[in-house]
Amino acid sequence: MATDQEMKIHPEGGVIEESKSQEMLLNMGPQHPSTHGVLRLMLKLEGETVLDCTPVIGYLHRGIEKILENRTVMAGIRYMDNSDYLSPMLNETAYVGAVEQLMGIEPPRRAQYIRLITNELQRIASHLVALGTYGMDLGAFTPILWTFRDREGILDLFEALGGSRFNVNYMRVGGVLHDTPSGWLTQCEKFLDELEKNTKELDALLTGNEIFMARTQGVGYIDPQQAMAYGLTGPMLRASGVNWDLRVNRPYMAYREIPVNPQVRQEGDCFARYYVRLNEIFESIRLCREAIDKMPGGPISTRTPIALRPPRGETYFAVESSKGELGVYFISDGSEYPWRAKLRGPSFINLQILPELLRGHKMSDTIAILGSLDIVLGEVDR
Amino acid sequence: MFSVVMAEAGSSDLWTWWTQFVSGLLSWETLQYVVAFLSIFGFIMTSAVILILLERKVMGWMQDRLGPIHTGPWGLLQTVADVGKLLLKEDIHVVKSDKLMFLLAPSVFLAPVMASWAVIPFSPYIRLPFTALATGIVFYVAMSSIDVVGVIMAGWSSNNKYSLIGGLRSAAQMISYELPLVLSLVSVVMLTSVLAKDGIGTVSLWDIQQYQDTWTKTGNGVLDFLFQGFTPWSWFFLVQPLMLMIYYICGLAETNRSPFDLPEAESELVAGYVTEYSGMRWALFYLGEYGNMTIVSAIASYLFLGGFSGPGVGFLTGLGNIWWGLLGNILALVYFVLKIYLLCTVFIWVRTTLPRLRADQLMQFAWLILMPVTLCNIVLSGGIYLICNALGLSNLIYLIVLGVINWLSIGLFIWIVRRATVATTRRAQAPAIRAQRRASSVPALQLRDGVPSRVSELPAGSSVAGGGSH
Repeated sequence: MATDQEMKIHPEGGVIEESKSQEMLLNMGPQHPSTHGVLRLMLKLEGETVLDCTPVIGYLHRGIEKILENRTVMAGIRYMDNSDYLSPMLNETAYVGAVEQLMGIEPPRRAQYIRLITNELQRIASHLVALGTYGMDLGAFTPILWTFRDREGILDLFEALGGSRFNVNYMRVGGVLHDTPSGWLTQCEKFLDELEKNTKELDALLTGNEIFMARTQGVGYIDPQQAMAYGLTGPMLRASGVNWDLRVNRPYMAYREIPVNPQVRQEGDCFARYYVRLNEIFESIRLCREAIDKMPGGPISTRTPIALRPPRGETYFAVESSKGELGVYFISDGSEYPWRAKLRGPSFINLQILPELLRGHKMSDTIAILGSLDIVLGEVDR
Repeated sequence: MFSVVMAEAGSSDLWTWWTQFVSGLLSWETLQYVVAFLSIFGFIMTSAVILILLERKVMGWMQDRLGPIHTGPWGLLQTVADVGKLLLKEDIHVVKSDKLMFLLAPSVFLAPVMASWAVIPFSPYIRLPFTALATGIVFYVAMSSIDVVGVIMAGWSSNNKYSLIGGLRSAAQMISYELPLVLSLVSVVMLTSVLAKDGIGTVSLWDIQQYQDTWTKTGNGVLDFLFQGFTPWSWFFLVQPLMLMIYYICGLAETNRSPFDLPEAESELVAGYVTEYSGMRWALFYLGEYGNMTIVSAIASYLFLGGFSGPGVGFLTGLGNIWWGLLGNILALVYFVLKIYLLCTVFIWVRTTLPRLRADQLMQFAWLILMPVTLCNIVLSGGIYLICNALGLSNLIYLIVLGVINWLSIGLFIWIVRRATVATTRRAQAPAIRAQRRASSVPALQLRDGVPSRVSELPAGSSVAGGGSH
């Protein structure tokens, strides 16, 4: 290491000291514009090169898992919204899916299809935020405003569906809360057309840009073995060339009827992760359209008792969230309250590789790499 | 000095010295300088206010939003209100800062920006006496390199790691981009020395602008009115377009604008060297930055776009009537300010479009691409002139040949930049490519046994609510 004290003998006598730079400890965060919430990174810098990094988490801990134990199953769904606050619908689906699996209920087909549409819309919304903030991290100001404009349309659709824009509280054990309002599906299709156009524009703005490519290509490389060893899932895993998508490999609900084309890239760098997310938006648009076309009629919910008591036992159910495998490990003692509900948050697990990735990179790359992980601190700290 | 004068001179001599000093202080020249200072300061202040509003509005349109609309009609008073707020804000000092440097840094940053305006003629009548004007480009370059001192002072004295990194980054950046900036200006000076009858070029902006006027009176009133002093076909950007481009790129780096805004990279360094500043001191930094933007645009418009020239200016001021002359001057001022704002809009456009470079890529771009290209251009301009001279060709043919080559080399420049980007990314991607090759030689990764990868392979009537059940 260049910081080691080295002494050299000058040829003409005397001792000269190697010029050495001092290590600097930089606390990045928890209040910092681009740590995506309240993540604190303790960076050990030499000049601009990162020697080591220690992420410090827990600034957003709200004890969601403990809260779930103290609420009835139905009341707990609402708290799942706050876990990964960029994809509430997916969290809810994971939670009610676990309860349904334990109780042996299958929701009606229409409910499954509505769940698919809302999940895919939520995935689009989450990816839009990820792409927009990624552009912001790299200094491009425009993408974030464009993506938030598009995301607004999704929130409007959710508002029409569940009455609330953000924390929708829409999923129920055995189905969904309401049927789609009349005209909602047409509105949704119209929105998807516009979204496709806008996303292509975003693609044209960022993807081919030389500076963007120079900043992201080859930065933060994860090889497939490493990715699997760290338990990465979602776009991060698929960007490293591992074809693993729960919607394909463990199809659940309507995904058994509507096949998904998983988006895989081989490069394993920040650009690949960006590109996988971008392509997943297009794939989600396709899935939504197909689900709207195939939308069956019928009830939207099975009858469940008002005091919902899952049978004694335990189960694990996972959905492919926007960030990766979002699993709920649900243990019931036969009462109205879950005995334990453990969340396997993809953000938390994807974050673990960060120190490994940062070592040796420049300080500017810290932001590029952290942004490409697409973590949500609500889910990391829970 | 004063005491020495007192000791050597008698009381009467002292009195003459004093009267001379006072009369010098109250002379017409001093008043000119005071008025010039005040008007330049006023111009920078106003143009910063207008530019900030313009930037927010233009960025708003480009980003599909409205920009400021609430304060005043159409949001026009927004920046005025902001300035009022900044003036009234508390001036917060960091306790453990280097007090003197912390307080001085904004002034050190702003002063050279204002000083460099001394070389700019605003219109045929409005300019400083020619002493300051004659050193033109050299004076501007000297002033713009003092800027960096203020930035380093701010970065060092704030006692903040983000500020320090920002200050050092900007020191490296400003010094590196100074060189291609100067070299790109040299090409214009070379053109003037070719055009000058005695073969001696000029660095004065006023004279450089005169070289871009090739109109001879025709006697046709309409044509004379339009084109006297305004001949866009002989502007230097037609001969040296690549140098205008490079000058502009360097100007972006000099003013710390996107995509070279690393010193104040918001997403990395919070606000860089201005992190600890608030209130009016913070505003002084921003004033300096926007003043810098306008000065870069002003120099570009003088060297490449004919300065304040426009239809009617030369004709009206040439009439010899003071009132028509005044009208001509006002027109000239309008053209000049319009050209500045047009060039500033390009700054804004670039900001909305491009992401930010990394520090090492920034340095590579300056030293490995811009420097060789500008040097090559100088050699090329000189070489072609020597060849044309040897063949006995006229200046016009030389300019046309040089212009054609320069326009072609814009394409070459873009190709080089693209190529360099691809080359660096390929090098950076080497581990990924290696891993791909490794992966292709071993059988595909087996994830888990017996997992169907497609829906069609699923057995009929598989599990009820799916999911990775145990």
